[in-house]
Amino acid sequence: MSTRDAMRRLIPPGSYVLFLFFLAGIWLTISPFAMTTQPSGFHWIASTVNSFTIGVIMMVVSLLGILGYMLLALRDLIRETQAKQLAEQQVS
Amino acid sequence: MNTTRFSLGKYVCGMAASLIIFLAGGWLILAPFALGYQPYGADWVSQTTNSFVMGICVAVVALVAFFLFFYSLLGSLRASGVLVAPSRIVAQAPVSYQAQAPMPQATPQTQSELDKTLTTLAAALAADLNSRRQAGSDQQNDQAQSMVNRSEAR
Repeated sequence: MSTRDAMRRLIPPGSYVLFLFFLAGIWLTISPFAMTTQPSGFHWIASTVNSFTIGVIMMVVSLLGILGYMLLALRDLIRETQAKQLAEQQVS
Repeated sequence: MNTTRFSLGKYVCGMAASLIIFLAGGWLILAPFALGYQPYGADWVSQTTNSFVMGICVAVVALVAFFLFFYSLLGSLRASGVLVAPSRIVAQAPVSYQAQAPMPQATPQTQSELDKTLTTLAAALAADLNSRRQAGSDQQNDQAQSMVNRSEAR
């Protein structure tokens, strides 16, 4: 299997979308400060807390999704390769 | 026998992440009204606009991601034989098949399980196509014979 095929199996189209969510999570986290809706030096207002929390959740969940898929796909690839090698050894 | 362990965990992982993010998008849409930082009846403040627009985009794209993982799961299930692939009716090409055509014989030592299975499948398909074609030609012969009989009777 070529490197390209392996990467295709490790990173499906859904993982690219999850990466977009990771970027969206970063934006949600910093948006109250970037848009200056959070007054400087004050306690965080409700919208800041909400936006920050959802942003962090999105970042964590999307990263877990990408990495979880990648790890499980990698495990499958390794098992397949081992099974092929075992079969070739049995044949020869 | 060459067995490959089949795991669904990676697809479930992606689908679960997409579903959680979809719910987060729904909450982003509702949050300005649920938490009360959008005054009732007034123009939307910038936090509301940001949260609402982000929520809609996140929810829609999360659904797309969910279905991408779902179709990957379906494809994997079809590839492993759990699901049957949708059968396509293909017009028969005007090529004469030979059922008893000599198959390339590989030595049993070098022929893998997959090759054996594919060889058996190809032979069965060729035999099936040939029998269908013979049945069709027999039917045509019968029809032609009956037409000849009718013309002779007249």
